[in-house]
Amino acid sequence: MGHPILPPSTPHSQKLTSPQTHITFRPCPTPPTSPSYEVPQREPGLGAAIKSLVSRTTRDVEAVKNITFDVAPGEIVGFLGPNGAGKTTTLKMLSGLLHPTAGEISVIGHTPYARHKDFLNRITLVMGQRNQLMWDIPVADSFERNRAIYRISHGEYNKTLDELNALLDLSDLLSKPVRNLSLGERMKCEIAAALLHRPQVLFLDEPTIGLDVTMQRRIRAFLGEYNRRHSATVLLTSHYMADVEALCKRVIIIHHGELLFDGDLNTLIERFSPHKTIVVDLEVERADLSAYGDVVTAEGNSVTLRVPKTKTADVTGKLLANLPVIDLTVEDPPIEEVIEQVFSN
Amino acid sequence: MYYLKLIWIFFRIGLLNEMAYRVNFYVQLLQSLLSLGTAIAGLAIVFSHTDTLGGWEAIDILALLGVFMFVGGVIGMVISPSMSQLMDDVRLGIFDYTLTKPCDAQFLASISQIRLWRIIDILLGAGVLIAALIYRGLDIGPREALAFAFVLCTGGSIIYSFWLMLATLTFWFLRIENILHIFQSMYEAGRWPIGIYPHWLRYILTFLVPVAFAITVPAEALSGRLTPDSLITSGLLCVFLVVISRWFWKRGLKNYSGASA
Repeated sequence: MGHPILPPSTPHSQKLTSPQTHITFRPCPTPPTSPSYEVPQREPGLGAAIKSLVSRTTRDVEAVKNITFDVAPGEIVGFLGPNGAGKTTTLKMLSGLLHPTAGEISVIGHTPYARHKDFLNRITLVMGQRNQLMWDIPVADSFERNRAIYRISHGEYNKTLDELNALLDLSDLLSKPVRNLSLGERMKCEIAAALLHRPQVLFLDEPTIGLDVTMQRRIRAFLGEYNRRHSATVLLTSHYMADVEALCKRVIIIHHGELLFDGDLNTLIERFSPHKTIVVDLEVERADLSAYGDVVTAEGNSVTLRVPKTKTADVTGKLLANLPVIDLTVEDPPIEEVIEQVFSN
Repeated sequence: MYYLKLIWIFFRIGLLNEMAYRVNFYVQLLQSLLSLGTAIAGLAIVFSHTDTLGGWEAIDILALLGVFMFVGGVIGMVISPSMSQLMDDVRLGIFDYTLTKPCDAQFLASISQIRLWRIIDILLGAGVLIAALIYRGLDIGPREALAFAFVLCTGGSIIYSFWLMLATLTFWFLRIENILHIFQSMYEAGRWPIGIYPHWLRYILTFLVPVAFAITVPAEALSGRLTPDSLITSGLLCVFLVVISRWFWKRGLKNYSGASA
């Protein structure tokens, strides 16, 4: 089912402009010459700070080493990995912000770092932690700026805005200055601003970071709908498993700039986490549930169990039948745990 | 046409931004009037002791003050805020959004912030200049006017390119606002004809920090002092700096892309 860990060396570099492939990412086909970046480095402390005024030391950073993948048009791919894994670097390479020192990258038939206008007209980048809307002026005026920059005709613009409005419910927000919006409202507007030119490829770097659950769900539903309507290709990074579960059939896990997994989300969960977590609240305290599964924690009248996925229904049934249960929830282990499992393999 | 439209859009945004803090208008008006007042008082004091300064009469120096305020207004309205914004954006990574737009990044960065109320300086400067010319009896012909327009444009471009190169350093050094403060204080020296300064300072103000080409040379054009040499040098230096700053900008972009990982 899923793609093998570390895909075999790439025999299909000829299909760069093929309609089957929207994105080809091969920054480094031959591992020894991996791309690296020079970043300034400074020891902590005042002395070092003064020294760095005179002489700067730098170190080379290899952000991505063994990552290669292709993405088909209309596909939504989730990038997972801990902070500093190289997710953002990969997105930056794909959106033309970083020059890879080796290898080839192709997005909708273009080499991103050439930053061709046709390429830039067909992609968009959303970073959950950075805003492009202008702080002091109404949202609509920031939109107007993008409309002018992307040369969108008024007719086209109004059509797109109506659609985004219907999906994201922006009408009350457009006339407000950005500084008066809540984080969630701002993110809705940020995403709308990034989609006014109807890009075919979306690079989303943690678009739901810091949002409450309702707003996360809202954004998620919107992105799914946008993808369906416009067959847009989406590359998404997120720390929220729910984002990935809701949107991405395929996930790519990277760590230390290396690709650890590329394949179906279900395969990932089955392969690396054959367990589910059951949390039960009971009417009695300190019940011994070790007969039902591994007891992870037991505090007061709440017990957390880990059971093999295949036995979840069975165990849940028994718990409900045999014990005075107040509340019971079945959860997938958190993404961190799954990823930890991936790392430990 | 596309670029003119964008300039208009950014002007509009500048106005909207200023409208968010309307008191600024009055503060700026007061500040501009105060600085004009002190500058004229300074001139009055100097010329109460002497008739000419480095060969310039009081009325010519008043015209120079007009050019000084006008160019300072342009710098303060567009160049300085946009370049400061560029440095902030690079440091905070917001510059990514500029780079992913299908428009020339240097152009977008150069007009990104417009502090519209500085237009008061531009208007006051133009007013002082015209007043000085009228006082002199409007004694300039079309040749002088044309030469003035030419060296004003080349001088403005020189200042812009110079400022752009300073700001571009941010791609390597991230925090360099201090350099711009140095420039700001050097610019102040331009309110007097640079001929009155000692030789070494004149050299610095001409080539190291090209204030001379932005202020003194245009003022010379208005008072019949402009030599063909200055005219040609201004044109050549303008072309040279525009090309070099563009090249430097592109180098900087490459470096930004590298360091922001």
